[in-house]
Amino acid sequence: MAVVAFWLLFVAFVGAFAAQVARRVQLIAGAPNTFSTDNLRLRANRFLVDVVFQARTIRERPMAGIAHALVFWGFVAFGAYTLTEFLRGLGIVDLTHSGWFNVYRVMLAPFAVAVLGGILYLLIRRALVRPVALGTKVSLESIVIALFIATLMTTYLLTFQLAEGTMAERVNWWVHMLVILAFMALIPASKHFHLVVSPMTVFLKSPELGNLPNLDFEKEQVGLETVKDLGSKSVLDAFTCVECGRCQVNCPAWGAGKELNPKTIILQTQEALLAGTRDRKLGEMYSDKVLWQCTTCGACENQCPVGIEHLPILIGSRRGLVSNGDAPDYLGAMYNNLERRSNIWGLGYDQRAKFVQSAGLETFDPATHDVLVWLGCAGSFDADFQKSLRSLFAILRAKDVRCGVLAKERCTGDPAKRTGNEYMFQELANGNIEDLKASGVKKILTSCPHCVKTIGNDYRKFGYDVEIEHSSVFVEALLRKNSAALSATGSAAFSGPRETVTFHDPCYLGRYAGKVDEPRNLLTRFGADIVEPERNRDNPYCCGAGGGLLFADKEEEPGSRISDVRFKQLQATGATTVVTACPFCSIMLKGAQASAQADTQFVDLMTYVKDRL
Amino acid sequence: MILVIAEQRDGKLNRATWETIVGAQQLAKVSGAPITVLVPGAKAAGVAAELAAAQTNEVVTVEHAALEPYTPDGFTATLQAVIAQLSPAYVFLPHTYQTRDFAPKLAARLDRAIVTDVTAVKAVAGETAFVRPMFQGKLTADIVPQGPAPHFITFQIGAYRIDQVVKGPAAAPLRALDVTVDASTIRQKPEAPFQQARQAVDLSQAERIVSVGRGIKEQSNIALAQQLAEALGAEIAASRPICDAGWLPMERQVGSSGQTVAPKLYLALGISGAIQHLVGMKGASTVVAINKDPDAPIFEIADFGIVGDLFEIVPAMIAALKA
Repeated sequence: MAVVAFWLLFVAFVGAFAAQVARRVQLIAGAPNTFSTDNLRLRANRFLVDVVFQARTIRERPMAGIAHALVFWGFVAFGAYTLTEFLRGLGIVDLTHSGWFNVYRVMLAPFAVAVLGGILYLLIRRALVRPVALGTKVSLESIVIALFIATLMTTYLLTFQLAEGTMAERVNWWVHMLVILAFMALIPASKHFHLVVSPMTVFLKSPELGNLPNLDFEKEQVGLETVKDLGSKSVLDAFTCVECGRCQVNCPAWGAGKELNPKTIILQTQEALLAGTRDRKLGEMYSDKVLWQCTTCGACENQCPVGIEHLPILIGSRRGLVSNGDAPDYLGAMYNNLERRSNIWGLGYDQRAKFVQSAGLETFDPATHDVLVWLGCAGSFDADFQKSLRSLFAILRAKDVRCGVLAKERCTGDPAKRTGNEYMFQELANGNIEDLKASGVKKILTSCPHCVKTIGNDYRKFGYDVEIEHSSVFVEALLRKNSAALSATGSAAFSGPRETVTFHDPCYLGRYAGKVDEPRNLLTRFGADIVEPERNRDNPYCCGAGGGLLFADKEEEPGSRISDVRFKQLQATGATTVVTACPFCSIMLKGAQASAQADTQFVDLMTYVKDRL
Repeated sequence: MILVIAEQRDGKLNRATWETIVGAQQLAKVSGAPITVLVPGAKAAGVAAELAAAQTNEVVTVEHAALEPYTPDGFTATLQAVIAQLSPAYVFLPHTYQTRDFAPKLAARLDRAIVTDVTAVKAVAGETAFVRPMFQGKLTADIVPQGPAPHFITFQIGAYRIDQVVKGPAAAPLRALDVTVDASTIRQKPEAPFQQARQAVDLSQAERIVSVGRGIKEQSNIALAQQLAEALGAEIAASRPICDAGWLPMERQVGSSGQTVAPKLYLALGISGAIQHLVGMKGASTVVAINKDPDAPIFEIADFGIVGDLFEIVPAMIAALKA
């Protein structure tokens, strides 16, 4: 009788679960396939770190993260227990009297206590503390789930108290099993679906942050225009979101009071998919205003603990808008500059030639030069950043590194790529790749982190493979070798006065390239005592220049300027010198400093090192 | 005969007309063709008198109801009648928005060749060729228009400098032209022209600009820059920090996130010359920079640079201008 009742309940609840899952699987399968499984080693490693060890969950919010890890590990530990009880309830096989089960059952006790502790902490946090990232209203469903989990653990622990066969024991067993069934039926339509899918999503997340495969114009790809254009990974992402809000609180646009909230983007996607509004225009759904507020800093994607990729959606939608001629005016002006003059400023290349000549640079020749220095739009035209390049050249000369430059450069296409103007990006990229190939270069050195990402990652997608390093990485290694020879300790021979500085990690260096120690090693070796700002290393707060926003008007930016917010964070360190390592960060932060009428000194990393060499 | 079509509105000449006259004079110098300047529209007399200073054979005006307000149909019909009367070999026009609106239609109506956005006139194998950019300026083409006259040529703004105009020994004779136009052929009914509110100040048309940067130090010092601007007959502009601070309105900001300007004189007071500012003023003919930092990037592009304290230099300049 009990077995029949349990079977009926089992079929009903598991059926409800399966139907909801099937709907989502259908949506994922129906979307254009964007899944990839390249670089298995990195994926496996990330699975281990982020899923098994919950690193990304714990890193940013240690207390909540550990509480979550306890619940997660508890769930995994209880897997066989739950299965055994189901087999028994369904009358298939009763293994509960076997020796191993009783040992296993006892071993679960500390896990149950840990889960109870963890879930209680999370329940209090969600219901009473209510951090902003979790949304403005308390999710009732989350409270129910938390109580379910607490009930499961309590009913498990009670089995040690209740004698088998008693009424109390039977009630306890039924409560336990019914909660599991109800839990299953609730999961797919809630953020708890991440229990089922997030391990897959983490595994399927691109090994490259901000991965934007090239559009194939032959296949008339124009980017994402409507809901049905969203790729399968994006659809999976939408159903994986756990609504923790790490993307939100780390987003510089959201932090500066703008409308963009990466979490909202994902939830809007989910809602539209389930509503079946396949022809809904993404520009309207997300709001084109919001789509243009993203600096492509990558914080959302990088902080997400469940493997969601926001940038393919944000930039993919920009591609759709640009293909329909819906870019903001300031980008239109920049595209004109790129089209007519092949650089973002719209300046003539005679100015670059003037700089190349005055800096005594030769045209690259693999026979005589060790590296090719890629100047970039800033290095070619910005007199301020050219000072930094002169410092780099002085360092290279002092260490007998022979370098050359291309006779002609175009913008790498980064601002075009990041703003969704794929056609222009490919024009620029193909031209540059042709010139780089013809030059015979094996190793490129640049002071622009955006050029590192574009040449190093995006050009690779055209089959062009070249080693490219940011100057901080190259110079750090260069001077390390050298100083090791100079002093037995391997530390620098620098003996001048030490100075307190703060370092602003560029998003495209710290977060995208993961180069956080090299600039710091250089600074420390050359007399700097670094005071770290809030948001640093591989999770810096953007300067506000990325994604084409260097060109945005203030009127087009609601809230504060991102650069002003970042400048205040840097000021708060108390250091009066800010070291930068990206021309665009330098432009933005100097602008913010000028507007704030502050006396903060800015110095580029290469100039800092050269002055103390 | 080369017929130059002047552009004016309410008696105010569009200065690009002068450049087109230079183009005509350069061709006339070689071919010896006479030049007639046509001023269409109401209040043409004043503009005609102004243009008569240039060395041409005559300046004719045509005031017809079909020309006011401007419509492409009205202009096409009127100019078609004028061309029938004067039978020019070439019709030269400044490549303005108005020209772009009606000139292709006029050429098509007459079934004659048109070469647009021309930057120079030259002789190629004994024939007159017109140089125009192609493929977004990546190439230039020498074009010899074919077929019966007249050939329509529109000149890119800035193709010639206005100071290249050859002035005549005496004013060219003026003549009013009568044409018959069927006003019922005009299909457009334009609204009164208006300026978009957002850019209440259009710095892009300013001939002289005094621009202030953070070196001005205090809001109260803006007045000093304003005095200099008044003395020079210049517009006042600023770099981003000044507008961010609200010392001058946003619409006076010059740079990549503000307005793009191309004045004859750009006087930069205490502007360091960050790249995003420089790109907004790269079109200036003459840049004068005053900055106390000799390493300021502004000096890289300045034609004249003064390293010093603007609070000493500017009052002296005002005094000199007023003397």
